[in-house]
Amino acid sequence: MTAILRNEASRLLRGSLVLTGVFTLLAAMYYPIFPGFAADAEELEAAFPPELMDFFGIEALDTIEGFIAAEMYSFFWVLLIGIYFAYISAGTIAGDVERRKMDLTLSNPVSRESVLVQKVLALGVPLIVLNIGVIVINVVGSRLIDEPLSLTPLLMVHLLSIPYLLVCAGIGLVMSVVMDRARSAQGIALILVFTLWLIDSASRLDADYEWIGYLTPSRYYDETAILVREEFAYFDAAVLTAGFLVLLLLSTALFLRRDI
Amino acid sequence: MTAIQVDDLTKQFGEVAANDGVTFDVESGEIFGYLGPNGAGKTTTIRLLLGLLKPTSGTAHVLGADIRDRKALTATKADIGYLPDTLGFDGRLTGHQTLDYFARLHGDERREELLELFDPPLDRAVETYSEGNRRMLGIVQAFMHDPKLVIMDEPTAGLDPLKQDRLHLFIEEERQAGKTLFFSSHTLSEVQRVCDRVGIIRNGRIVAHEEIETLLTQSGKEVWVHLAEPVNEKQFVTDEMIDVEVVENAVHFTYTGHIQGLLEHLVQFDNQDLEIGNPQLDTIFKHYYREEDTIPET
Repeated sequence: MTAILRNEASRLLRGSLVLTGVFTLLAAMYYPIFPGFAADAEELEAAFPPELMDFFGIEALDTIEGFIAAEMYSFFWVLLIGIYFAYISAGTIAGDVERRKMDLTLSNPVSRESVLVQKVLALGVPLIVLNIGVIVINVVGSRLIDEPLSLTPLLMVHLLSIPYLLVCAGIGLVMSVVMDRARSAQGIALILVFTLWLIDSASRLDADYEWIGYLTPSRYYDETAILVREEFAYFDAAVLTAGFLVLLLLSTALFLRRDI
Repeated sequence: MTAIQVDDLTKQFGEVAANDGVTFDVESGEIFGYLGPNGAGKTTTIRLLLGLLKPTSGTAHVLGADIRDRKALTATKADIGYLPDTLGFDGRLTGHQTLDYFARLHGDERREELLELFDPPLDRAVETYSEGNRRMLGIVQAFMHDPKLVIMDEPTAGLDPLKQDRLHLFIEEERQAGKTLFFSSHTLSEVQRVCDRVGIIRNGRIVAHEEIETLLTQSGKEVWVHLAEPVNEKQFVTDEMIDVEVVENAVHFTYTGHIQGLLEHLVQFDNQDLEIGNPQLDTIFKHYYREEDTIPET
């Protein structure tokens, strides 16, 4: 039974393509300015307070890897795409319940577990489209300005972001099975993911409070470490994967119990 | 065999009991009408039967599956068709794509045959559909996998009279082919026309569970009398008369006693015209929705 998976996947395809387009525009903006920017990067880094650099996890702005990590990944990928995954997952169950689509779905010989799993599998569409799209954009963009990004860290920055994005999706999913209205579920999921990111970023500023950041998903995904220092934190990725599975089990348990 | 067996089914939403000890059964091969005004609890019962809601207490069996047994109920749904009151279709899909989607979920042996009777514009996106077209798409969806039992919640809502007739006729043919049809309605004439038996729900409780014929015969006779002079209510009205309406020389009432007694009573008056007939179901229905103490025994 893949009817729901196919339906959801085609629904998510358009948004994924639009977001890939947004990243193309970002690349078209950032890559051309890098050669000029790299020359002044040291002065710029000196001019900004170090706290701000820590907040965004920025370093080595004079290298193409550091520049792209800062401009494209630390904000747009981690926060924007994280929020996007939380948002689409939050709408998935709550939206169907609200529009009474779930009545029709569950009147068929399909279990609630299967509905949820197919909806999660459909997230594969934005995961694949966005990851492959943005990898291609970065490979092409960096070659066009003759500053080719090394391929392994580029692939790893995407591969290791998948568990992180799934945790964001998991947060949305829990909201989606708890709330009756898609809007409320999406609003809360969006605020949660943003707040968690903010807590992680802010906690880096003070050593005494840095531990709080370990309760946030973005602490387990360091785009700058991967791109600039080629440090691949597999254990952190495993922590995120475990976190996602816990959220998935929690939402399944809640969905099985609820009235729709 | 019993297609649906409901036992003391109760569903509380906070303080409100939407279904309060609901008990009735639907036999295989019959058309069962589930009657009540909006808000009486009809949709709640239907959504409990499909496992969309969890009962607070009591249970029901649908085609032998206990609604509290999720696995058994899910498997049984291959033999159930459902036409909900609100049709939550995916608006951006066309009619064709929508039916393809449901075909993947539950099969579509009878799609073409049904589309000859109910013909929504399949090439257009469902979000552009009129209420009637949505309903027709819903009907095709509910019957296309040739289920043994079809549960319909206000099935004719939004349909034009021609299509309503077509649906009634179709339901009748399905019954003859051995299907069980359960449908809720607040339209009495519809229930009276197509159903074999009826359950009447009022404020979450079943107040009648009868064959239509029995309900009609047990509910007395509807009588119109025209007298030569203005009616003297004190002399004319007896204890057996209920719902008495007097307008000058004419009187209309439901007679709950023996017909012989009525005739003996009437000869004392100067009768100009007289009509005695079976009450329409809506006359009976009104009784169930008057104050608690005036509900007739059935």
